[in-house]
Amino acid sequence: MKIRNFSIIAHIDHGKSTLADRLLQATKAVSDREAREQLLDSMDLERERGITIKASAVTVNHEVDGERFQLNFIDTPGHVDFNYEVSRALSACEGAILVVDSTQGVQAQTVANAYLAIANDVELIPVVNKIDLPAADPDKVAMEIEQVLGLPAEDCIYVSAKTGRGIPELLEAICTRLPDPRPARTEHLRALIFDSIYDDYRGVIVYFRVFDGSIKTGDRIRMMGTGRTYPANELGRYTPRQQKVNQLGLAEVGYMVAGIKNLGDVRVGDTITLESNPAREPLPGYEEPRQMVFCDFYPSTGDGEGGRRADFESLREAVEKLHLNDASFTYQTQHSEALGFGFRCGFLGLLHMDIVQERLEREGGVEVVQTAPTVSYLVDLHEGATVEIHNPSELPDPSTILAIREPIVKLEIICPTDSIGDLMSLCDARRGIFRGQKFVSDGRQMLEYELPLAEIIYDFYDKLKSMTRGYGTMDYEIVEYRAADLAKVSILVNGNPVEALSLIAHRSNAELRSRAILARLKKQIDRHQFEIPLQAAIGTRVIARETIKAVRKNVTAKCYGGDVSRKRKLLEKQKEGKKRMKMVGSVNIPQEAFLAVLEQSE
Amino acid sequence: MADLERYSLPLAGESSIGSRTPLAEVAAGSTARPEGAYIHVPFCRHKCHYCDFYSFVDTQDRQEAFVARLEDELEHATDLGATVGSRLVTVFIGGGTPTLLRPPLLARMLAAVRRCLPLAPDADLEWTVEANPETVDAEIAAVLAAGGVNRVSLGAQSFDPQSLRALERDHRIESVAAALGHLREAGITNLNLDLIFGIPGSTLESWRGDLEAALALEPEHLSAYGLTYEPNTPLATKEARGEIEAVEEDLEASMYEDACNRLAAAGFERYEISNWARPGRACLHNLLYWRNRSWLAFGPSASGHLDGLRFKVVPRLGEWLDSKDPWPLSEWERLDEHGAFGEELMLGLRLTEGVDTAWLEDRLARCDAGGERRRALESALADGRLEQIGTRLRLTQRGTLLANTLLADLV
Ligand SMILES: Nc1nc2c(ncn2[C@@H]2O[C@H](COP(=O)(O)OP(=O)(O)OP(=O)(O)O)[C@@H](O)[C@H]2O)c(=O)[nH]1
Ligand code: SF4
Ligand SMILES: [Mg+2]
Repeated sequence: MKIRNFSIIAHIDHGKSTLADRLLQATKAVSDREAREQLLDSMDLERERGITIKASAVTVNHEVDGERFQLNFIDTPGHVDFNYEVSRALSACEGAILVVDSTQGVQAQTVANAYLAIANDVELIPVVNKIDLPAADPDKVAMEIEQVLGLPAEDCIYVSAKTGRGIPELLEAICTRLPDPRPARTEHLRALIFDSIYDDYRGVIVYFRVFDGSIKTGDRIRMMGTGRTYPANELGRYTPRQQKVNQLGLAEVGYMVAGIKNLGDVRVGDTITLESNPAREPLPGYEEPRQMVFCDFYPSTGDGEGGRRADFESLREAVEKLHLNDASFTYQTQHSEALGFGFRCGFLGLLHMDIVQERLEREGGVEVVQTAPTVSYLVDLHEGATVEIHNPSELPDPSTILAIREPIVKLEIICPTDSIGDLMSLCDARRGIFRGQKFVSDGRQMLEYELPLAEIIYDFYDKLKSMTRGYGTMDYEIVEYRAADLAKVSILVNGNPVEALSLIAHRSNAELRSRAILARLKKQIDRHQFEIPLQAAIGTRVIARETIKAVRKNVTAKCYGGDVSRKRKLLEKQKEGKKRMKMVGSVNIPQEAFLAVLEQSE
Repeated sequence: MADLERYSLPLAGESSIGSRTPLAEVAAGSTARPEGAYIHVPFCRHKCHYCDFYSFVDTQDRQEAFVARLEDELEHATDLGATVGSRLVTVFIGGGTPTLLRPPLLARMLAAVRRCLPLAPDADLEWTVEANPETVDAEIAAVLAAGGVNRVSLGAQSFDPQSLRALERDHRIESVAAALGHLREAGITNLNLDLIFGIPGSTLESWRGDLEAALALEPEHLSAYGLTYEPNTPLATKEARGEIEAVEEDLEASMYEDACNRLAAAGFERYEISNWARPGRACLHNLLYWRNRSWLAFGPSASGHLDGLRFKVVPRLGEWLDSKDPWPLSEWERLDEHGAFGEELMLGLRLTEGVDTAWLEDRLARCDAGGERRRALESALADGRLEQIGTRLRLTQRGTLLANTLLADLV
């Protein structure tokens, strides 16, 4: 039986998961009765948001002209934050189906994912999807694919993942156009771990692709990277039901349960070999995804000291539990003078951050307060060392700093031609460096920029969406850390610096951002009996200021028909509110003020 | 606690003992001698958008049922002995709009008050009724006077049509003068006008216009309240949605200061934060509140006070009408000494007469363990929110505008 290993890749929402459903049905892996939408999206959150977060691998069988094929395919997430999932999936495959929505055309992640496939030396089958829709223009989209990606338009297969039209042709192309798996290079087992998930009952489940040799149930295996050994207690495939097998041979894809307790004990990209008969060299692995975006989570209900501690404990539990399922975010305890105890967490991107926050609340049952995202910086010191910081308060004494480096991304935007001007101004204002412009089709263009990541996480995507009336898409990839004229901006309230409000900003726009922050802060801090100056400063130089005028009127007008109790309760509430605030010097700052400032929109 | 045992009262919010309500307990054994009575009439012609008093437009016409039920409540108070040994020097019938009652019903209610409550002789009695200007005609004025009412408080609020619209008040401006005319003609000559400042869209000029218009009508008493955005009122909702904009705090403060100056020049004395009167015309009933005296309360949502026990009659008309308990309470509460002292400070400091320093020292010695209250008072003295005049401690004019900054630390 011949084997075809492929991934399904696309821009978000172009129909990968739906196409996967049709492949399952057309190959009789699931009956028509069992079919439900986006069958491979099993997480609650995935089904609810209609997006794929985790890649999933399945095995089905198909026959073409009397020849039997085993098809192993991986549905991947479309969103840029989960690009690393796509790379991992691709490195376990020889082929990929590139799905493009015939009403949307080539989009930013279409390009990014296609490039990833080409970089991984993977054979691409371009598929134009959703041809059942009235607005579909498959020929135009096929031309875009040729224009932007260099894949011949006549190679495109037109399908509807909804109605099933074109699916038989696609299956045939998969079998005939995708290459055979490469032959073994050694007799020793070498299997690449491309994913792992945590199951509450069975511990870690490892997904792998056998590149050399084969593996049997009961084999003692060794992870070549970590050196750990485990018994291969259970082997199997998803068809898409879990089906146990005794052996997985050359080029096959499957899963293993091996009594591994902790996701952290498995390194995705590691090579599995046999303890008794190990391979000499591991397969080339992956680069670990790097956390690029950081924010703090604090328990949000926390009246008084006692309450706050109790909530922190439930937050800790939720964070630790979620981390068992998603090892790609990092966390460490954090104490903020304003918000108490919480966690500083690192994420692969903004969507990843959103998803972690949502899963904490939903699966962990804790309500969290989230601070605005920041990026990580590398700080080069005069004495030669480099430190990585995720928080302005960690910035060393300026006199010891040689340079501060920030992450730079390569940004691709696909947008309607008439919004190019606005987008270029936006990128310029965000310290972007123009790298190129490409024709996509009539009315659409692709822009390439280099931009600091910090500028993207700060209200960039929303602006792009509104400037393009929703049609623009973007994708980015970290290219390097680059020195920039960055400085710590301190916020002073009544002359006292408030560490929890400080930020790292580029000198060219520090003033603008500071002014916006002070304006928001002014709205949040109640007037006091004295005037309160608000200042933003770099070192000792004040770059922006605001003033909260002294309170002139704070009095209850009326006594409600002698309802004295009610009046007293109102005053008591005022007193309680005051107690919950953070005293800085003689100024009371409410928790909301810290959050308002840390919010990201301008 | 000793007090509690004396009255054998349940703690705040607990259910009553046996068949007697806590009020009955109090009434039976209290040494409190109420000096006034408040009666709440919950009907209005139209609901103003800023109003969070218990009042509504009664589409079922329950006026008669209301008056009958009120008669029961008043009689019951007498039966309970709540008024034994006391002589009421004030009656205040508020709402809602008491003058919305049809004249025979209004007369019946006034008669019941006179029949059931031990009122002081007419010369020593202040009997106030609140009125919406639009509801006062010659007939109503005559009924009030005949019933013994000698003071009327009219909700004028503003003389600026735009401001009235902003508040959704539905009276005509001319009706204020007309109402005053009818009342004076009927012999009721102690008259108050309520004004509101800080209405969205108003300016210092329009407010000055309101003050002048009010003064031109020569009332004996004026109340000027800063507009409050009470939660769950249409006004607050509109503000939250951005449909209307609250006036700037500074402007509101200037309006208040303007009122202080203009009314002083016109011969009015400010005796409480929001209340001004010609000499000898301060509202005695309101003074009972501020001086922490005892008064009875009747009608749905009315609040009363008997020697440290604060209580409230159930605040829904239907429930009140149907209640088996002749005097149904929804809330009652007796504060401990510490809390009661806070309340007394909160009330007393609203008055221009302030509080007595010897009394203050005595209480501070007993009810200020952490020294928090003393510190708050001292800092207010130091920064000019408080001043000591002879043996009295009181808010300064600046302190008046900032009263809550101090009172919140004292409760
Ligand atoms: N009319 C029509 N709708 C389709 C077709 N294929 C997918 N859709 C719809 O398009 C939406 C997105 O489909 P998904 O399969 O979730 O897309 P995806 O690429 O897996 O999305 P991500 O995993 O979030 O990247 C869903 O509402 C589908 O029902 C099609 O051929 N025709
Ligand atoms: S008339 Fe008075 S009680 Fe009636 S709704 Fe208006 S403000 Fe409220
Ligand atoms: Mg999907």
